[in-house]
Amino acid sequence: MVDLDKLRTVAKETVSRDDVKYLIGWSQGTFGFRVSPHFVKEPEEVDSLTFSPLCCNNLATYLTLTEKNPVPRGEEADTRKVALMVKGCDSRAVVQQLVEHGVGRDQVYIIGCPCEGVVDVKKVEKKFGELLEPVQASWENGKVSFQLPGGQVESLPREEVLAQNCLTCRYPNPVVSDILLWDEVEVKGNDDYEDVKELESKSSQDKWAYWQDKFTSCIRCYSCRNVCPLCYCEDCILDRLNPTWVFRSTNVAENTAFQMARAFHLAGRCIECGECERVCPVDIPLMKINRKLYKEVHEKYEFEPGLDPETKPFQASYRPDDKEDFIL
Amino acid sequence: MKDNGNPYKPHVATVEDTWNETYGDRCIKTFKVVFDDEKVRESWEHLPGQCAMIGLPGVGESMISISCSPTEGKFLRFSVMRMGKVTQALHQLEPGDKMNVRGPYGNSFPVDEWKGKKIITIGGGIGQAPLRPIIEYVKANRSDYEDLTVIYGSRTSSDLCFQGELEELNSCDDVSCHLSIDVEEENWSHFVGFVPSLLMDVNPSPENTIAITCGPPIMIKFVLENLKKLNFEDDQIYTTLENRMKCGIGKCGRCNAGNLYVCKDGPVFSYATLKQVPEAFA
Amino acid sequence: MEHLKLSKDKLGDFVAKLGDKEVLVPQKEGEALKFVPLTGDSVPELDYANTSVPPKNAVFPQTETMLRFEWGKMETTAVTGEAKEKVFFGVRPCDARAKVIVDKLFTWDEKDPYYVEKREKSTVVGLACAEPCSNCFCTSVGGGPASTEGLDVLLTDLGESYLVQPLTDEGQSLCQAASDDLEKAAEGDVQAAEKVHQEAEKKISRQIDTGGIPEGLPGLWENELWEKVSQSCLGCGICTYLCPTCHCFDMQDEVEGFDGRRCRTWDSCMFSEYTMHASGHNPRPTRRERTRNRINHKYSYFVDKFDVIACVGCGRCISLCPVNIDILDILSKVKEAL
Repeated sequence: MVDLDKLRTVAKETVSRDDVKYLIGWSQGTFGFRVSPHFVKEPEEVDSLTFSPLCCNNLATYLTLTEKNPVPRGEEADTRKVALMVKGCDSRAVVQQLVEHGVGRDQVYIIGCPCEGVVDVKKVEKKFGELLEPVQASWENGKVSFQLPGGQVESLPREEVLAQNCLTCRYPNPVVSDILLWDEVEVKGNDDYEDVKELESKSSQDKWAYWQDKFTSCIRCYSCRNVCPLCYCEDCILDRLNPTWVFRSTNVAENTAFQMARAFHLAGRCIECGECERVCPVDIPLMKINRKLYKEVHEKYEFEPGLDPETKPFQASYRPDDKEDFIL
Repeated sequence: MKDNGNPYKPHVATVEDTWNETYGDRCIKTFKVVFDDEKVRESWEHLPGQCAMIGLPGVGESMISISCSPTEGKFLRFSVMRMGKVTQALHQLEPGDKMNVRGPYGNSFPVDEWKGKKIITIGGGIGQAPLRPIIEYVKANRSDYEDLTVIYGSRTSSDLCFQGELEELNSCDDVSCHLSIDVEEENWSHFVGFVPSLLMDVNPSPENTIAITCGPPIMIKFVLENLKKLNFEDDQIYTTLENRMKCGIGKCGRCNAGNLYVCKDGPVFSYATLKQVPEAFA
Repeated sequence: MEHLKLSKDKLGDFVAKLGDKEVLVPQKEGEALKFVPLTGDSVPELDYANTSVPPKNAVFPQTETMLRFEWGKMETTAVTGEAKEKVFFGVRPCDARAKVIVDKLFTWDEKDPYYVEKREKSTVVGLACAEPCSNCFCTSVGGGPASTEGLDVLLTDLGESYLVQPLTDEGQSLCQAASDDLEKAAEGDVQAAEKVHQEAEKKISRQIDTGGIPEGLPGLWENELWEKVSQSCLGCGICTYLCPTCHCFDMQDEVEGFDGRRCRTWDSCMFSEYTMHASGHNPRPTRRERTRNRINHKYSYFVDKFDVIACVGCGRCISLCPVNIDILDILSKVKEAL
């Protein structure tokens, strides 16, 4: 059960520690169903922190997104820890970053929040309209309860409002943490990769037409890449101009190249948080591609990323008994 | 001639001559180019301080300051440092090869306003390239200006641009030229030290004088400090800024420093203007 | 110009009479609602709030070839003169106003031929808002749900019909071409439309008083608010690409085989390499500087140059920002700091 008092107490203690630079959590957004990432530096600010089915942001992306400013002469770099609040999927992102040495274990203090699934804001806004007054939400007995403006409360079954990812989620509890805020939750999801199989069963022509249609609307805002906690190359190959691997033109060929390159760079690394699909302003179903590659890696190599900080990165390791039958 | 009706369409120019000013990784090469089209050649007009977009189709364009004065003849000179994709490709050009040029862009040094004044240029490294046109212009219209002082320095003697011309300037009667390098070298008889120190050594009087400076940001910072120590007013100090540019005509929105578009409101700015724009010295 | 009326069942005929011009209407392309050419005999569906991609993509395409050349040769051919006559049908007043704002920049001194020829060949038929978007704040920046700036014709939904208000000569000739489908509007119709406009204005709940912001922003250069508001920014291009007044672009040479083109593509000041010099120096190294620049550009620098805030209050950046960075939140912090 979500315990907001405990959350805020722990947050206050954490931010007051000498070895913690700041804490990243979620707080109520500026309108409707929105929640925004909140960087807390002062203990007084913890009261705005929250945790609810609306907290869809994967905060692990900030571990690698935040720029390291040049240190002014005479000063020393601030090497204190960053405290991070994580759900199950977010913690897997942190684990994968640890495995790749993108982040050091001593640089992050992980506050685990077992999660019963976050909403798909697009689904919810379709149902209730794009409301302006801030809305509260909570998990109640397997349903999601919304406290709407005007005092009205509506409880909806999770299948109707949760993100697709959350319905098949097998890791709702943080896999690594320095402190767990409340009891672990029951694993409700089971992944048969139904959505992937559905697309797999189509003919090549149909699949090609499907993706050409989707990639035509891509506006190359790079929101999917920037929000992804595992896309953190300082010099992204898809931005390079010398040489130019992918043209800046937004025709379907270049867009396809961008999306495919990114998907392959994430194979065996994507931890299925679903953020890329959530942020896409033109609603491209990006998770279908990522989940296809996830399924391949899972089935053929029996490997799932983001679970064990001691493993070697999937694409950078080799076992003599790795399957090769689909290559040869 | 600014454009063919389409400001993005470049003219074709032939490289008449090219030579290295400096060598090494980030070497500087000067290109002397002449427009192929006679009409363009005849009607081209520019003033010291302006720039042009030069490049090659298939590679791209770069905004480079025109480092010759219109008084020198019907050609253009560009001194280009090899840095990225476009400048690398330009450096491969030999006499007879062609490049694309469009412009001139930007404002110029207010040469008319400065008539009757003493002119001091303070340059460092490649920063001498945008200062060369004003030096040549003043030399060609020597009677319009009271005095010309050139202060220029580089890391080493082999990093000095326009070496031949600077030696000539040294021997000119009515122009004073002061050179410096950062560290002692054999066969160097001039000042040793950074350009801001050389400036204090020359100790120019601010009376009826305009000081123009261009060079690495750190040099500009100290030159500005020293010019203030020498009691120069803000509107007596000029500099040229640079920023990443694409269109050159104030449309792509990229080159702004604060509310000033470097390609249109600049690149020449007085310190009085820049003081109010914190981003100018970023 | 007198008011006219178009009954909704005649909408298809009206559109068909627009002749050989390309008619752009809000439609789903893939999953996104944007302005796309109407095909065949379909009738435009005007029951929508606003498109995700603003209509700027038809006069300022995301990718536009400017010059063509053959690899290895120096001659370049400008790709102009190919613009087609277009009619934008059902544009919201905020997006139309945005066009007028962007026009100022693209015609400043040197006219941008690609943009200008497309703008000159476009006629804009607007649709007044009866139900403003939730994050709309157009009235705070000089607009309104029935603003006529940038429009040739304004339609107002009266239930069974539209009130049709020609505003310019182009708008007038458009209506004349379809005069069979139009009838004169009665005084009652005009008043009903007025009421729709007034009710809509009342429904706009997000407001900000921009007084003092353009002049005061430069003074807040080193203020700590920029750090706070940019911390959660992802540095993506959503706010800029989907903003109807944002117009920054990149120019790239692209060669495939021997066919070369110099094209321009949308660019965003929020990207990290936007101002990156070839030397590696970046005057705006972090998201703090880039956010500060974006707000200053829209609310201060553009005002200095063109006397108008480069924001029409459409609210797309607020609705679509993945981390809920809210421009009204930033502006209220600016006002607090002033």
